Amino acid sequence: MTGRKVLMNFEVTPSSHTLEAYLARGGYQALAKALRGMKPGEVTQEIVDSGLQGRGGAAFPAGRKWQVIDPHDGQPHYLVANADEGEPGTFKDRWVLEHSPHTLLESMLIASYALGVRHGFIYIRGEFDLPWRRITAAVEEAYAAGWFGENILGTGFACDVFVFRGAGAYVCGEASSLLSSIEGSRGYPRNRPPRLTVKGLFQRPTVVNNVETLSNLAWIIGNGAAAFKEIGTPKSPGTRLISVSGHIARPGVYEVELGYPWAKFLHDECGGVSCNRDLKAVIPGGISSQVLTSRDAKVLTPHDVETMILDHDALWQAGSSLGSGGMIVIADGTCMVSLLRVMLRFYHHESCGQCTPCRDGMGWLHRIIDRILAGQGRPEDIELMYRISKANDGTTICGLGDAAGYATVAMLDRFRDEFDYCIEHKRSKYDGNLECRPSS
Amino acid sequence: MPTIFIDGRPVEADEDQTVMQAARAAGIEIPHFCWHPALSVPGNCRICMVEVEGKGTDIACNMPVKAGMKVFTNSEEVVTHRKAILQLTLLNHPVDCGICDKAGECTLQDYHYRYNGEPSVSIDAKVPATKFHELSDRIVLDNERCILCSRCVRFTREVSGSNGLGIEHRADHSLVRSSEDGAFRNDAYSDNVIDLCPVGALLSRRFLYRSRVWYLESTPSVCPGCERGCSINLWHRREDWKLKSVATRENTRIARVTPLENPAVNGPWICNKGRDLADLFERPRAIEARVDGRTTTLETAVAAARRLIASATRPVALVSSWGSNEELEAFTRHLGSRFTSFVKPDHLPLEGEVVEDGLLIRADKNPNGRRARELFGDPAPAFPPGTGVVLCWGEGFDPALLPAGAKLIVVGSFADDATDRADVLLPVSTQLERDGHYTNFEGVITGFTACLPRPPGVADAEALFGLLAAEGAA
Amino acid sequence: MRHLIPEFEDMKKRLPPGENGVLVLPCLKRIQEDRGWVADEDIDGLVEYLGVPRIQVEEVLSFYSMLRRKPIGRFHLQVCHNVSCTMRGAERLIDRLQARLGVAPGQTTADGRFTLSRVECLGSCGTAPVVMVNERYYELQSEPLLELLLEELERS
Repeated sequence: MTGRKVLMNFEVTPSSHTLEAYLARGGYQALAKALRGMKPGEVTQEIVDSGLQGRGGAAFPAGRKWQVIDPHDGQPHYLVANADEGEPGTFKDRWVLEHSPHTLLESMLIASYALGVRHGFIYIRGEFDLPWRRITAAVEEAYAAGWFGENILGTGFACDVFVFRGAGAYVCGEASSLLSSIEGSRGYPRNRPPRLTVKGLFQRPTVVNNVETLSNLAWIIGNGAAAFKEIGTPKSPGTRLISVSGHIARPGVYEVELGYPWAKFLHDECGGVSCNRDLKAVIPGGISSQVLTSRDAKVLTPHDVETMILDHDALWQAGSSLGSGGMIVIADGTCMVSLLRVMLRFYHHESCGQCTPCRDGMGWLHRIIDRILAGQGRPEDIELMYRISKANDGTTICGLGDAAGYATVAMLDRFRDEFDYCIEHKRSKYDGNLECRPSS
Repeated sequence: MPTIFIDGRPVEADEDQTVMQAARAAGIEIPHFCWHPALSVPGNCRICMVEVEGKGTDIACNMPVKAGMKVFTNSEEVVTHRKAILQLTLLNHPVDCGICDKAGECTLQDYHYRYNGEPSVSIDAKVPATKFHELSDRIVLDNERCILCSRCVRFTREVSGSNGLGIEHRADHSLVRSSEDGAFRNDAYSDNVIDLCPVGALLSRRFLYRSRVWYLESTPSVCPGCERGCSINLWHRREDWKLKSVATRENTRIARVTPLENPAVNGPWICNKGRDLADLFERPRAIEARVDGRTTTLETAVAAARRLIASATRPVALVSSWGSNEELEAFTRHLGSRFTSFVKPDHLPLEGEVVEDGLLIRADKNPNGRRARELFGDPAPAFPPGTGVVLCWGEGFDPALLPAGAKLIVVGSFADDATDRADVLLPVSTQLERDGHYTNFEGVITGFTACLPRPPGVADAEALFGLLAAEGAA
Repeated sequence: MRHLIPEFEDMKKRLPPGENGVLVLPCLKRIQEDRGWVADEDIDGLVEYLGVPRIQVEEVLSFYSMLRRKPIGRFHLQVCHNVSCTMRGAERLIDRLQARLGVAPGQTTADGRFTLSRVECLGSCGTAPVVMVNERYYELQSEPLLELLLEELERS
């Protein structure tokens, strides 16, 4: 067990995602509690008090975002559940969509009530097939049962939800480009100010929250902020859905109580490295979070007593981040130069092309790393890659450009010897290997 | 009015201004590619980074002013950022200034010399893109030079309303493209994107490779294309770059026309018709005085006209609505009482031309109709019975309408049926060869200046009217 | 696309009124699902139906990697080549598919049956490597499994 549960607190069966099963385990009671017994401001206050942080990557306090919205200011407000899960290594929201879609829907209704939202959206990435079928089926069930539409629970509260499918663009996971996408444009991010909570979708106040963030709401309203704060650490209350992939024996989605020892999680729960290799490195929260060597993270051995705990603060202090919870485990013998190349190919492919540093920087980094791996690297290329990464630091419209730069810098910082080796010997130290192969 | 400090200098700003706007109003230049005062703020070029004390760096174009804020436009961090951004802007740019029409007035070129100046640090191949991509029959696009600032795209959405341009694809493969329904071809304002382009990506086919811009100089003028009377710059060969042997015709041509920003009339824009003024002025000229079909001197023709006017029973004048205020007043002064005068449109909408729109284009295709009507009234031209002489000033008169037996005096600049038919032809200068003013439909008076020499034997109408009236002719 | 208009009208019921742009992407996805790709006449019809500028639709079609304006093979084999999938053998799968189908990524077999593509992360990292065939995920792929899948597709 990985601590207490907020979301994965039921047994997954072939029918556990249905409305019937959800109601049987107490579903939609939190909504009833909110609609019948709480004022919108009280719901928001409860979320503020819970200390819930965003689960999409930046870990911004969810309640603080909400407090900007005045539900009674007479204009439309919008709520968007960000289900565009595209950060490589991340597949945890998919678990919610597939197995507990009504938790998201109930939570969205609660949020809509608190924020004065009449129309909500679920922006789901275009490639998702089963999650899309599950969430749309759940929406239909909820409409049929009167959980959406007019006069919900006879309280006069009305709310609609539309499941909006993306069409293949990583950048749309960024809140403002997601809104551009809903509005029917290219997914170009927007400059702040204004913040989206001031001018978001259709230029109206809009809250965009990650699926997992929102899905905590039903539990928080149902059990109270105080109960939620008892879970996790004082600064990072609650749990995180961690999706583990890479060279790991038991990949998958785990709900981990914040503060759980990392080494224990990796080696006991996830079964350790998959091919009897030592652990080389971990990317903790999607490829845009900085890679940590196993020594940095102190997760080299199963029972490293000094292991880091899984918690937002702890990872920030270590120079990385829990990010999107997409944990990628990397075994010894893996070529980090080739790994960075895969990452840079991705960033190049997915740069929206709007602002100069990311548009031109990602392509440049991609070409340089291709050249290094082709044996034509120059010693000064490392410095150049640093320069390009730093030219993206704080200069781009959205956070994805910065993050790509940080991820690149972390790889160069922590595995510099491999890059130097590749340039000097005109070949990868590990033969370009990315797969886990038993040590000989 | 909050006060902010830019590089230590106190600057008064409006509350809703951005740092970029406040700086510009105070005469402080913050480098920018994508920002344009008349367009929305996309903040994509990232070159306008400034540092705010205690807040770090951000783009000035999207930064609201805040009382007391201390902005630094040249701090070490800003300089470093700007240089890094410029290197990225230039990464896939061909740097082919030597064959680029924009060279000399290119923002990228200017900023590179001012803020970077270093050779490229890249040894990797540049991303190839389309060259000479035909956006319309007027404009070609060099996608390799394009820095994707989106000014042109925003212009078609926010100003001309054609929605003719967009950016397709992503990352460094992004391309400006015109809409497949031909909206850009039909955009009557499309050429503004050529001026808006901060680099040499959008090129006028009319001007393509015709001249280096530093061979040219501009003269302020007024577009005679309609009663809006947009302020324009007429570009022509500079004196010190005049060609001495080959293609000397270029010395006396309008090489290009650009808008001259005038908030009272046209803002920063003009329509495509204004860009094509060279065609209007390069039509066959009437430059020889004629009497009864025979070429003669101007003096002889003036004398002949004077005789006709003096002896006519009922002289009628068709007054040009392309004449300047000064010419119209001279006509009134010298000949007004002698003639029954009607205002005549010199030009009517051409086939396919936009007659009128909500932006600049007006239905009256003459620059000075308002002033002419103020002086001569607005009745439809009609020849009273017994009209003995018709003085036709300017274009647009069909000589078939001449009353039987009446004599025709034409005061004109361009050869047409009326000049062919004239009993007396008095050639006069065009707008390019003299100074003057027009009064536009809203009453705004704008001046134009001579920029090309007046051909020998051609009179200025203002002086001519005095000559026609001399010795008691009136 | 005109026969889909009743479906589009249905979508409007749960959307804020008066915001036609919001239908651009859902309509395009539905059109592509229906025809297999988006034809010029679909764009014309959509522009007329939604009253949005044509350039907006053209931009959207070029921006999103899943939308296409040309037909492709009956089975679109999309192999994820991002981090977690390459760490579990995606490149070997791509090599195998290239050899087996005789086409490179981005190409379609001469019989029009298969189109091979490399794609970025599909969010199936825990069940990597993943191959997406049309709309469906085939997770935890291996060379033998892929062989079985191809045989099945070839028969159908």
